[in-house]
Amino acid sequence: MIMIETLLKYTNYLGAMALFIIGLYTVLTHNNLLKRVIGINIMETSVFLFFVSIGMVAQGQAPILKISDELVIYINPLPSALILTGIVVAVSITAYSLSLIVQLYREYKTMDMDQMLNAKDEASS
Amino acid sequence: MMRHLPVIIVLLPLFTAIMTPLLPKRKELIFILSMIALSFMLGLAVISFMDVNQSGLFTYVFGNYAPNIGIEFKIDGLIAFLVVFIVFLAWVITLYSFKSIQKEIKEHQVSAYYSLVMLMLFSVMGMLYTNDLFNMYVFMEILSITSTAIISIQHRKENFLASFRYLMLSSIGSLTILLGLAFLYMVSGQLNMDAMRVLMPSIWVLYPTNVVLAVGFILSGFAIKSAMFPLHVWLPDAYTYAPNSSSAYLASFVGKVYMVSMIKFMFRVIGVDIIEALNIDNFILIMAALGMILGSIFAIGQKDIKRLLAYSSVAQVGYVFMGLGLLSEAGLAAAVFHIVSHALMKSALFLSAGSMMYVTGKRRLNQFDGIGFRMPITMVIFAIAAAGMVGIPGVSGFMSKIYLGLALIGDRHPIYLSLILLSSFLNAIYFMPILISAFLKESPEQKNQLQKDPLPKTMVISMVFLAIAMLVVGYFPQTIMHIIEAAVGLYF
Repeated sequence: MIMIETLLKYTNYLGAMALFIIGLYTVLTHNNLLKRVIGINIMETSVFLFFVSIGMVAQGQAPILKISDELVIYINPLPSALILTGIVVAVSITAYSLSLIVQLYREYKTMDMDQMLNAKDEASS
Repeated sequence: MMRHLPVIIVLLPLFTAIMTPLLPKRKELIFILSMIALSFMLGLAVISFMDVNQSGLFTYVFGNYAPNIGIEFKIDGLIAFLVVFIVFLAWVITLYSFKSIQKEIKEHQVSAYYSLVMLMLFSVMGMLYTNDLFNMYVFMEILSITSTAIISIQHRKENFLASFRYLMLSSIGSLTILLGLAFLYMVSGQLNMDAMRVLMPSIWVLYPTNVVLAVGFILSGFAIKSAMFPLHVWLPDAYTYAPNSSSAYLASFVGKVYMVSMIKFMFRVIGVDIIEALNIDNFILIMAALGMILGSIFAIGQKDIKRLLAYSSVAQVGYVFMGLGLLSEAGLAAAVFHIVSHALMKSALFLSAGSMMYVTGKRRLNQFDGIGFRMPITMVIFAIAAAGMVGIPGVSGFMSKIYLGLALIGDRHPIYLSLILLSSFLNAIYFMPILISAFLKESPEQKNQLQKDPLPKTMVISMVFLAIAMLVVGYFPQTIMHIIEAAVGLYF
């Protein structure tokens, strides 16, 4: 029972870590270039999820200033702002790697890393 | 006015990078614009360095935000010195690149190339100056995109493959660093390095797990990006297939900037006590020793000259990390000195190898018989740099080995000292055959008659600059070592 409570309490963190590992596994083990880029994207998403979860404050509201006398608890807006920058970076990395994949496919007529490496070895030997 | 110099040094290359594509596509014009920008940067960097030497370190806050919300630059002696050095290297390599890059990439891409180089310098300067961890991450991502793009700008399939692999691994590196930063931000609520340093002892007591995870993730991220031994897999392909001047840029300062950031993180954010308590220094020492030996052994079997130099870089990275892993003042000073001397030697090696490929169009080691007579200046510079790599007195590489050895003895690690000697012998094993075949063997095509190098003047001049710098650092190491030792003292 306590375990389930803990799990529920830390869902975001656990999910982020699980996604990070799934992404890392995908990047490192798959030979298909497109799947590698997807893996990088999953990793990026997991880090963003983790970062945004850190800024959460219990019973906090969105940080929009209200002119009233009552005290309001806001969530920490800084991680969300940082992650906006992070998303821009992630998009540019994805765009650049996809354009590289297009060029690679034109040259090698395959999407498989192993076949590309084999073709390279044959050419050099 | 002096306080604004670092910002101008960072913004000048950005401005040039934006201007370059807007200009008419005349390559001389673009080259001259880049050289003017670099000369200005060099002058400003020297003035800022003298200012820091005179009045001590200072911080620069952007846009009147408090440092814990906004972005802050912190300029101390070490950073100011490294900025001068890196801008000097960039100036020399850019001078070289003008003729050499025209032979390697299509004509309409020359302006894009210089634009990328300037963007790369912008991010390098930003990474050196910044005092904010997230800002460092953003500059790092700009650096990883631009440094892969200057490989893939040459349209060959090997280049695309090499830069794709480099991009994937360096994205993994940046993401692990970002995750580590999240772990630190989670418990400190700060991203400013100084503020984090103040909080670090209490964080270490209250949340040791977070600190362990953060240090592990961030240091392994930096290890991927600076090609520490078991994580160096991207390096040989990237350095081999890149255009010659790009290889020199990558080998001379892009890899080094990540090491400097790692120094900043280890000593200015986490602190020596916590690193020692986590026993990370031993891991670094072991990996560095493995890299020193195995990198040299891999280099022995290579047939391609640039791949040989790339594996030799893996070995030399090990020297820097060995100095870092000692966690002593002498060790850190030796590491920084080796960063400087290796950057000089490796860029000279890559540039002279590039000149050989420029003239002969060949890159196999067994095709360079008798080239010492066809291209005497190039091969003499190659020989000086190779002698530095092996550790012949008089060249900068010898002094960095001496300093590293003294630091190792001071820290009672004599075993690693013997490994440095072994690595030097291995260096000799793979550099000497090149020199022997260049100067003593008969070329199959023509007789060995001393000729003048058939090279453009800009390429010769830039290589000569590097050779002079190597010899000056080799004969007067104290001038640089005094600066480094004074600057490094602040990190403890």
